[in-house]
Amino acid sequence: MHPQTSYLGTADGRDADLPHQAVESLFNAAPDGLVVIEASGVIVVVNDQTEQLFGYAHNELLGVPIEVLLPESLREVHTQHRAEYLRDPTTRSMGVGLELYGVRKDASRFPVDINLSSLHAGPDMLVIASVRDVTGRKRAELLLEANRLELERSNLDLASFAYVASHDLQEPLRMVSSYVQLLADRYRGKLDPDADDFIHFAVDGVQRMQTLIRDLLDYSQVGTAELALVAVDTNELIADTLSSLEPVINDKHAQVTVDPLPTITADPTQLGQVFQNLISNALKFTAPGVVPRIHLSAARGPDNWRLSVEDNGIGIDAVYAERVFAPFKRLHGLGEYPGVGLGLSVCKRAVERLGGRIWVDTASDGGSTFSFTIPDAPEGADATRQ
Amino acid sequence: MPLDSSPIQILLVEDNPGDVRLTAETLRTGKVANDLHVAKDGEHAMAFLRRETPHTGAPRPDLVILDLNLPRKDGIEVLAEIKQDDSLHVIPIVILTTSAAERDVLQSYELKANAYITKPIDVHDFIAAVTSIEDFWLHIVRLPRA
Repeated sequence: MHPQTSYLGTADGRDADLPHQAVESLFNAAPDGLVVIEASGVIVVVNDQTEQLFGYAHNELLGVPIEVLLPESLREVHTQHRAEYLRDPTTRSMGVGLELYGVRKDASRFPVDINLSSLHAGPDMLVIASVRDVTGRKRAELLLEANRLELERSNLDLASFAYVASHDLQEPLRMVSSYVQLLADRYRGKLDPDADDFIHFAVDGVQRMQTLIRDLLDYSQVGTAELALVAVDTNELIADTLSSLEPVINDKHAQVTVDPLPTITADPTQLGQVFQNLISNALKFTAPGVVPRIHLSAARGPDNWRLSVEDNGIGIDAVYAERVFAPFKRLHGLGEYPGVGLGLSVCKRAVERLGGRIWVDTASDGGSTFSFTIPDAPEGADATRQ
Repeated sequence: MPLDSSPIQILLVEDNPGDVRLTAETLRTGKVANDLHVAKDGEHAMAFLRRETPHTGAPRPDLVILDLNLPRKDGIEVLAEIKQDDSLHVIPIVILTTSAAERDVLQSYELKANAYITKPIDVHDFIAAVTSIEDFWLHIVRLPRA
């Protein structure tokens, strides 16, 4: 701390208008460095923060030109800017849009924000510069930018992985699948029972692998593809989804009922995939001999729509209600209910990208209701959201 | 075509032996007598078409089935060269590729491919696709005689 000196008693003996004690307390309590200069550019007062920021004792600064606190390369141009400010001394930020730096006594630099204001007018004018060290903010900005670039890169990696998966993995698998299938077509029942078994397992494995690759592709694309947000009539979307599921619906004699549904802002491809996966699951996870009954409904929330797919299937133990949305999480053996365990992960990813959430409620009499929300006008509704 | 009894000459440009075999087996049991010639890359295909050594005795194909993803000279280059060659450009070219990319489809048609087919993943669908190429190009349409 300083000795009890009133810094507002200025070098040439002028007095400020406020009681010294009060002004001085305010002055030194300010979180920013405060530097008062005369029209000539000479420093007349600094506060405690200025000493700490720049590493000078206050008496080392009094009476010297303000330019001592600036990088050498800017000192000359600053003298001109100072003269311009004196002609139009409004309160404002200095160097808007420029990177400003202060220079400490030890010659090290640090980034600053500076606000200017003035006291008095005419030849007695005093200019007050409020100096804030923004090192922390700059560092955070740099970190944020680095993280953004890293995220962009990893999304690109994922997108190129999706491409590799689609092309390079599918190609050899198509060969395995084709020839195993031909073996099955031509030689089933013509070799011995073991051979038939082996062929069956090979065909089955290949088919699951193909489903897996397709689902993995869906999963990575739902996270990386650009969103095309438009007004989607969910009635039409559901009609399309149901018609693509018609073979399964007919096969299971399923009863599907649909309430009137709203028009919402979403990416139609991804929203379609959510419905497709939820309805497929509702058709798949039914007890043997039970006719699937599926009901689709919508409810208005304060700032979103909630869409629900209710079924009379085998239900989900409440313990697993969260876990079913994790990738590759399956609650049943392949023999009971086929699948690779990515369908609900795809739903979760798609819904969350649209700014909503997804969950499952289990009824006491069995069956489950999957619900998700879609916000009315997703924040930053453009095609570049991550 | 049915009036002419000489077999139809088909050039299959394909580097995947598995697909060559599938295509060959399908065409062998087709409606129309045909001779299948196989080129394993783009350079081989152009040498065959231009009857360069050692293909001096090569027949002129009535139909080319062309994969896009080929070693050395790729399918797009082969397509462009055939369509720019006054002595070859009337030969119908069917693209049969794993690519479903829109830019490949567009570029192929811009270069005057006569049809573009993405290889179906399921083997029965693949056989059906080759059968329909055979049926349409060798049976239904009338091709120019060299």
